[in-house]
Amino acid sequence: MSRIGRLWNSLANPDRIPKLFAIVLGAVILIGFLIPLDLNVDQLYPRPVPQEQVEENISTAPYARGGEVLESPGITRAQYPENSKSLGWINSYMSPLAIWVASTSPYFGTSIYSSPGGLIDEILYYTRGFDTILESTILMMAFVIASWLGVNFTMNRKKREAEAAADKSKDYYDPTLNKNKTYYYNNQNSNIKEEQD
Amino acid sequence: MDLASLGGELLGTIPLGDIVLYLTPFHLFMFVVVLIFTFLIAISRTETQIEGSFGTLKDHKVSVGLEEFKARRFLAIICGLATAGAMITGDLFNFTLFIALIGIVNVGIVSAVKQVDVLDAAYQYGIIAMICSLPLFGGAAIVLASTGTLSLFEIASMASATPMMIFGAILLMIGVAGETGIAPFFATKAEMFRTPGSPFILIIHLSSLFVIIRAIEILLILVKVI
Repeated sequence: MSRIGRLWNSLANPDRIPKLFAIVLGAVILIGFLIPLDLNVDQLYPRPVPQEQVEENISTAPYARGGEVLESPGITRAQYPENSKSLGWINSYMSPLAIWVASTSPYFGTSIYSSPGGLIDEILYYTRGFDTILESTILMMAFVIASWLGVNFTMNRKKREAEAAADKSKDYYDPTLNKNKTYYYNNQNSNIKEEQD
Repeated sequence: MDLASLGGELLGTIPLGDIVLYLTPFHLFMFVVVLIFTFLIAISRTETQIEGSFGTLKDHKVSVGLEEFKARRFLAIICGLATAGAMITGDLFNFTLFIALIGIVNVGIVSAVKQVDVLDAAYQYGIIAMICSLPLFGGAAIVLASTGTLSLFEIASMASATPMMIFGAILLMIGVAGETGIAPFFATKAEMFRTPGSPFILIIHLSSLFVIIRAIEILLILVKVI
């Protein structure tokens, strides 16, 4: 009984949680290697057979998706075709520079500046556009938090310290400033930890 | 498990391309409740704490400054909206993105506090939330590979679950658990709650409660045990 209590107490320490979690997650992922692979070949976004386009001497291989820009739709499949009726129309879009390179070199598809640009646009901004909004929202929130902390905790720190030093009567408690109270707070905690161990 | 027995009769869908939000009485109820709580949090003001200390007669007033108040309120509203979105989304990857947004905003709400041990706990929680993006998105990717679709409608209409789908669902569950800080990760969140600014801190807790209900529903759709 006391052993279980000790186990729970050790779990109550926030420092240990990420380490324990990393070990558990690693174990689960290792177990995952034993799971039989089961790939649904009827994928939502189909890909051609490997090397097929290379053997057909298409210069944008393996990224040729068929179709002509604004004339005929290329190969893109949507989960709900009724929701995206003009799917595939900009599937094979290439910039003028890319068209020139593709016309001079047969290896455009393997070069670093080639990309299935039109296809990615179709997916990112048409069929799964809401996901793109959310992804950029996540990024924006990360930058909002980081810049807010940067402005208020790093850049204005000297100013806050000067204000706190000037105002003796101020009872605003701010242990992130370099004052004795900070260390009192830490010591109190470390005492508690020692008692537990 | 079919959608009707989980959420009730399907009232309609909101099509956004491949991402279709679906409206059933259950999901609409949770959506509206989260929005009501978000509104209440948006119009409320923070609490102020008095901290006594052992061994001395001193006590500290722990209050939230105006700038910190504004930043926290903004992040709390975003967190509430993300939770509300996670309630009605009908797409697995969309759901994981909402969870990731909730996770990062939760860290942001407590990141501006001025108590050192709360910041320590928030740091540990942030590490867990970052690690959890691996099982969260990995689980969704494994489900996509084994079913060929991300739409919960399509997955719900499938007959049986393969072992790889179940493994993907387990990974997804680990990711949700870590990202929202439920059961085994309570220690970090309990420390985070010690800071003043009560209503904004509560949205962290509220979002994890609602998300876990929704995650269990999605697990039932994926695993098909019943």
